[in-house]
Amino acid sequence: MNDGTGTDQGMTMNAADAAAIMAEADARARPVLRPDHRVTFLVWGLIWFLGDGLTWLAVRGQHPYHGPNPGGYAATVLLAVLVSLASVGQSRAETGVRGLSVLRRWSFSLSALAGIGGAFAIEGALVHAGASRPVVGVFEAVAPVLVIGLLYLARFPVEQDWAVAGLGLWLVIAAAVGAYAGPQNVWAVAALAVGPAFLLVAALEQRRQRA
Amino acid sequence: MSPDELDPVIHTPARLRIMVTLAALRDGDDLSFTGLQDLTALTPGNLITHLRKLEEAGYVATQKNGGGVTARTSVALTGEGRKALENYTAVLRQLLDSASPN
Repeated sequence: MNDGTGTDQGMTMNAADAAAIMAEADARARPVLRPDHRVTFLVWGLIWFLGDGLTWLAVRGQHPYHGPNPGGYAATVLLAVLVSLASVGQSRAETGVRGLSVLRRWSFSLSALAGIGGAFAIEGALVHAGASRPVVGVFEAVAPVLVIGLLYLARFPVEQDWAVAGLGLWLVIAAAVGAYAGPQNVWAVAALAVGPAFLLVAALEQRRQRA
Repeated sequence: MSPDELDPVIHTPARLRIMVTLAALRDGDDLSFTGLQDLTALTPGNLITHLRKLEEAGYVATQKNGGGVTARTSVALTGEGRKALENYTAVLRQLLDSASPN
């Protein structure tokens, strides 16, 4: 090894060699060391679009309104929980990386689980307090959207990611406006406003990574 | 502009690879010794030697946590190291530009 002249184990390195090494090392390291949110956004988008869309198909025309099938609703929520845990698992796959980005992902996933769990507990309290099924229906459709939207917005000061912050703000607006659509159509609003928004952010992320 | 202006601490294949790999980490993250070894394809002995050089220059920081079989050494670029790599990249770009026929 000759430290001062750009040689290493007898190999001379000119500028072109150095550029090639940098490109190769960066291409190898970046996919492993930088979290890739494309799949997470894509799966969240599909879950929200299909889950809320199918729920809307199930509840539209109900007179009186009695809400979605509890089994189907539980399956959708379970799927969302699994996606959230999978995104945390992704951090484990980043071999050897430790620090703030891993902590942030754990914090987001656990906060999302706590927030949605808390919303379900409040829904139970509303039922217990005598709230009508339509009122509970509106709440159960918009509460998870509001929780996830606020969590995405809260990430902005740290990550400075305008796309994710925009998604967060959009989710908060969709939850607030969607609540006025009533217990049946709120599911359609959630499916059409939330699912495609996640898919758009996944597409933006894809474009950003290609740039 | 001459190749001599390239930072000699970075301008070796192994150390350049180490620096670029660590620069891919997000701010506030570090990488385990074994993770860095996997990504740079260096032998443990080689990696230790080069890390020592980079650490002496103040470009990387290593931290050992725990003891015995559970000990974990983590490595990260320092602010000075990130700046040095940016300067290296700028000089390299100028060298490549001046060497190109256009």
